[in-house]
Amino acid sequence: MATSLAWFSIWPIARTAMLLVFRRKLFWLLFAVAMLSFIFTFGAIYLLATLKQELPQMARFITSMLKDLDGSGTTYLNFMKLQGTVMMILLAFAGSVLAGNDHSRGGFMFYMSRRISLVYYALGKLLAIGLLVLLITTIPALVLFFEYGLLGDMAEYFRENFQIVFGIIGYGLLLSLSIGLLLLALVSWMPRPVPLVILWGGLFVFLPILSSVLAETLRDSEVNLEESSWRLLDLWNNLYIVGSKFFGVELPLFYGAIIVIFTVCLFSITAIFFRLRYLQHQS
Amino acid sequence: MTLEPSVSVSASPIVEVKNVSKWFGPLMALNGISLDINPGITGLVGPNGAGKTTLLRLLTGQSKPSIGGIRICENNAWSAKAKSHVGFCPYGDAAWDEMPGRKAVRVSAGLHGFKGDEARHRTETVLDIVGMADRAHRPIRTYSKGMRQRIKLGQALIHDPDLLVLDEPLNGIDPVGRDELNELFIRLAQDGKAVLISSHILNEMDQLADHIIFVCRGKLLASGSLETIRDLLDDYPLKVRVSCETPRRVASLLMELDSVKSVRIETSDDLFLEVQNPNRFYGEFAEFVLSKNVDIRGLKATDTSAEPIFDYLMERSSKPG
Repeated sequence: MATSLAWFSIWPIARTAMLLVFRRKLFWLLFAVAMLSFIFTFGAIYLLATLKQELPQMARFITSMLKDLDGSGTTYLNFMKLQGTVMMILLAFAGSVLAGNDHSRGGFMFYMSRRISLVYYALGKLLAIGLLVLLITTIPALVLFFEYGLLGDMAEYFRENFQIVFGIIGYGLLLSLSIGLLLLALVSWMPRPVPLVILWGGLFVFLPILSSVLAETLRDSEVNLEESSWRLLDLWNNLYIVGSKFFGVELPLFYGAIIVIFTVCLFSITAIFFRLRYLQHQS
Repeated sequence: MTLEPSVSVSASPIVEVKNVSKWFGPLMALNGISLDINPGITGLVGPNGAGKTTLLRLLTGQSKPSIGGIRICENNAWSAKAKSHVGFCPYGDAAWDEMPGRKAVRVSAGLHGFKGDEARHRTETVLDIVGMADRAHRPIRTYSKGMRQRIKLGQALIHDPDLLVLDEPLNGIDPVGRDELNELFIRLAQDGKAVLISSHILNEMDQLADHIIFVCRGKLLASGSLETIRDLLDDYPLKVRVSCETPRRVASLLMELDSVKSVRIETSDDLFLEVQNPNRFYGEFAEFVLSKNVDIRGLKATDTSAEPIFDYLMERSSKPG
């Protein structure tokens, strides 16, 4: 017999959205690109671990050159940031499949005629986006963390760095939630793929460039470039700044970044709510 | 249907619509509609923009009426409980072209809270009912329009609803597929379900529906059995094509019938008649054929599309008295 809780409908909504994305060749192409950097990092960690045993001095030399592979929180933070670049491209193209087509081709009506409300629908879509983000950023980072520990001094590494796991998960959830809300809000208002890609590109390519240019040209000579408030225009950088805190690193503009991310999330929730309400009552 | 019913059917109507109006800003999409829907096939007929889709949305709990109330099996239409009694088959495809039909039906099972073996069992049962069990492994993009319609029907039937709401289900379907779907609708109605079919083509409903609801410009123009509707259309001027071998002779004889207003010889085989009272005309015409011993090859009403009939009903309803 059917369960009486509509909460259980969230998973079928998310699974359907993900299945539709998984059936696109473009997804697998971008996923392969994302996996390239993962495989490269995985191989590099393995190589370093081997060198540590065979040629310790060489390993120390290489580690001093490649600070991003020292097994600290920064290793995973930067890896996730790199993965995030591919993830952004993927989401730009997958956004329409994940939710946009529902609005342009009747899927939304299909869902709304079932025993589910707008909230469950939005949560299902958010879960789908979030899982894609986790799949590309968080899960590979966790694999690398365990690889690093297992290939080195396992007990000591895990004991000293267990908080990194929480950092990876925390940063992953931050990315999932904020990017998920933003994408769902944009897709709700702009379901067609081309305008969505343009807008997404504007947010994550044009704004960072603009913020760099403004920070460079308008900065006070006494203020460090990284501390310029114009940097807050770069949403991706804000996520990095807040994400760093999960790994115990506090970067400049931390509170500003939190305010920006919180505002974006709040704005996205409002936009999603009003748009879905409008679509529900539209004739 | 062999599925365990999710609800029990009560004695009162499955759908009760009471004085429902719906506004979208300044636009009044529905104006004071009241009707009941019982088990059997009900045709919701109206021209494009009549308010059919709005009424379907209200019935399926997708939106709330501005005024009035809708009860489905004694529950408010927008409550989750009411939705568990309703299966909706929307007009458009849900953009799941890449997904196999079986999976699409399975998703619907999940959305109704069925899991594991129960979901699998229900999926296979409804695929069997809609005749898609052997083709459900293929992606939806490879399906014909009729097959897509069957999958949507399967999705709507997954929870064994009491009310099945179908938005233009026969639109774009070829005649063979149309007959097959009609048989399916009749079977479902015989199983005790209320099947509400919207259409803008009156002819589609003629042989299918037990009950017709006419809506136009947001108003309920007429509601009742086909006979009731036919009675309303007594004075409706109908155009009829008669195919025969001797049109000149037949034309002169037909002019003697009271119900025939005018006769026009169009081709060497066809006559076009304008008749004033369709019901009386068909009776007179049957007697005419038998008594005059004329060779009639065909008789077809040429303007039974919904629009002129709605115009007629609208005009009739706006007349005082």
